[in-house]
Amino acid sequence: MIVQSRSRAAARAVLAWGVVALFVFPLFFWITVAFKEAREIFDLPPRLANFTPTLNNFNEVFGLSLGGNLVGGGNFNMGPRLWDSIVIAVFSTLLAVTIATLASYALSRMKFRARHHYVSWVLSTRMMPPVAVAIPMFFIYKDIGLLDSYLGVILIHAVMNLPLAVLLMKSFFDDIPLEIDESAVIDGASRWYIFRRVVLPMAKGGIAATAVLCFIFSWTEFLFVLTLTQTGLKTVPVVSSTFVTSTGTAWGNMAALGVAAMAPAFLFVLLVQKQLVRGLTLGSLKQ
Amino acid sequence: MAQVSYRKIAKSYGAVEVMRDVELDIADGEFAVLLGSSGCGKTTLLRMTAGLETITAGDLMIGGARVNDRPPKDRDIAMVFQNYALYPTMKVFENIAFSLRVKKAPEAEVKRKVGAAAEVLNLTDYLDRYPRELSGGQRQRVAMGRAMVRDAEVFLFDEPLSNLDAKLRAHMRVEIRQLHDRQGATTIYVTHDQIEAMTMADKIVLMKGGKVEQVGTPDELYDRPVSKYAADFVGSPSMNFIEGEIGEREGAPIFLAEGVAAPLPAPMARHLGRRTIAGLRPSDLHPAENGAVQGTLTLAEKTGADQNLHVRAAGVDIVSTAPRNFQVRQGQHIALAIPPERVHLFDAATERRLGA
Repeated sequence: MIVQSRSRAAARAVLAWGVVALFVFPLFFWITVAFKEAREIFDLPPRLANFTPTLNNFNEVFGLSLGGNLVGGGNFNMGPRLWDSIVIAVFSTLLAVTIATLASYALSRMKFRARHHYVSWVLSTRMMPPVAVAIPMFFIYKDIGLLDSYLGVILIHAVMNLPLAVLLMKSFFDDIPLEIDESAVIDGASRWYIFRRVVLPMAKGGIAATAVLCFIFSWTEFLFVLTLTQTGLKTVPVVSSTFVTSTGTAWGNMAALGVAAMAPAFLFVLLVQKQLVRGLTLGSLKQ
Repeated sequence: MAQVSYRKIAKSYGAVEVMRDVELDIADGEFAVLLGSSGCGKTTLLRMTAGLETITAGDLMIGGARVNDRPPKDRDIAMVFQNYALYPTMKVFENIAFSLRVKKAPEAEVKRKVGAAAEVLNLTDYLDRYPRELSGGQRQRVAMGRAMVRDAEVFLFDEPLSNLDAKLRAHMRVEIRQLHDRQGATTIYVTHDQIEAMTMADKIVLMKGGKVEQVGTPDELYDRPVSKYAADFVGSPSMNFIEGEIGEREGAPIFLAEGVAAPLPAPMARHLGRRTIAGLRPSDLHPAENGAVQGTLTLAEKTGADQNLHVRAAGVDIVSTAPRNFQVRQGQHIALAIPPERVHLFDAATERRLGA
C-alpha cells in the first residue's frame, strides 16, 4: 500500500462512494418503484424509503398471488416470458461460446492462408447496424420456418455475439505462451488433446468473461426478438415495452418485471464471478 | 545410440535465408552447447531439431535415421523451454506425468517414473503443489523432470537458465551437468552465456549469422579461436584487441602498434608486414617491467579474488587481470607483458586467425 495522507485518503473514499452512488441510485430507485403503488411513483419529493411496500405490481405481472388478492383486471402472466428469456440467453450463450472458443483457438494457434484477414472479416459482420438486416432476416426466417421459434432467436443471438466472442477469446488464447502448446506437442499430445486438457483449463477465466457478455447481450436484446417472433415466444425486453400503452405507461408493472429480470442475470454473473475476475486479469501478470 | 547429425541444413522464411550449410555432428552422450548472440540461429537450429520448425533443405539425422519429416513425438527427443512451459492448471505430479498420460501409460508406471524423476530432482515434497507455488529453480527442475520421464535419447534445452538470478544459475548449471552425466543422453543446449557454455559443454558450437563459426571443446575455443568474433565471444573479461602490424626486431617477429611491441613466436615471421589484429586475453597480460604494452592505468576494478586493471594503451582500453595485492595508482604508467605464444593474431581484413 502506498503511503498517503489521511485527508487525501478521505477525499478519495468520498469520491469513490460518490461514483458508486451515481451508478447504483437508478437501480435502487427502479427497485423501489417496483414495490410502490402507482400513485406514489411520481410523488415529489421522491419517496426513497418512506412508502408502504406492496407486491401488487409483481402479482399483476406474473399472475401470482403473493400475499394479496389480485385487484382490477391485472394479470399479464409474464412468468413464461421470463422463461423464454432464460432459455434463449442460456442456449445462445452456450452456442456462441462453444463456437468462439474453437474458432479463436484456431485463429490464435494454427497457420493457414489469410489468417490475419479472418479476424477483420469476422469483425466486419458487426459493422452493419442490426436494423439493416432485421427486415431481410424476417423474410428469410419466414421462408425457412424459423420464425417465432426458440431455435431462430437462439441462432441469431449467437451469431450476433460471435464476432465479439471470437475476438475476446482470441486475445485470451494469445496470452497463453506458445511454448505451452509446443511442449505438449513434443510430449506427443494431439492438437485436440492439447486444446482440451491444457489450453482450455487455462482459458477458463476468459470463457467466463465471454459468457457473461454474451448472456447479457442476449438477455437485453430487443430488435431481433421483436421482429422475428410473433406469439410463440417473447423475451423480457420486448414484453416490457407492452406496458407502454396508448392510455399511459404502467411504470410499476414495468419496474416489477425489470426487477424480476435482473435476478437471473445477476445470479449468472455471481456464479462465474470468481472466474470472471481471473479472466479479466489473465495475462496481466507473469505466472 | 543417438548421434545427432546435421547435413547441409538450411532454413529460409520466404525469401529470407536465415541459415545455410550447417554441418555438425554431435556424438552419442555428448553435451553440446549452441552458443551465439541473439539472432545467430542457435534457437532456430534447436527448434528444427525438435521438429517445431520445418527444415528448408539438408538432412537431420538422429540415431542414424533421417528425421526431417517426422513429427516431434517420433524423434525420441525431450525439450526444456526457456519459460519452462509448465501447465499452470496441473500440479507438479501431473506436469511431470504429462507425456505418460498422453501415452496412456498404466498408473503404476506413471507413479514409478514420476517418483523416480522427483527423487533425482529433489521434488518429492512438491509433487502436490501447483507450479505457481514453486520458486524459479524448482520450476526449472519440474521442467527437467517432465523431460526425464520420457526416457528420450536426446535432450534439448532452450536457454533454460536465463530466467534465474545469477546465484541460482550457477547452481543449476552444476545440476544440469550432473543430471546429464547420470542419464547419459545426448544433450543439445542453447545459450548466449559463454560461461554456461564453457562450464557445461563437451563441445561448443559457436554460431554467427546462421552459420557455424567454430566447433570445439571449451579449451579449443578459448585457446585457438578461429576468428575475432570467436575470440571476443569466449572468455571473461573479454579479449583485448589492438590493430597493428607484424614487424621484425633482431631477426624475430614482433607485433607493433602505438605503445605496443609484443614478441611473437618465430613462425609468425612469414606474415611480416601484414596488417593484423592482436588479441590479448586479460588473464595472459600481467604487469612487468619493460612489458610489451605500455600505457597508463585508468581504473582498477576489484573483483574479489583479483583485480581488473584498465590500461589506456595504443588508443584503446586494455584490460589485464592482476593479483589483488598488486599496488598501482590511477594515472600511473604501467607496462604489461604477455608470453609470445599467448598472442592471438587475426587478419585485419578478414578477421580470421593467422596460422603459424
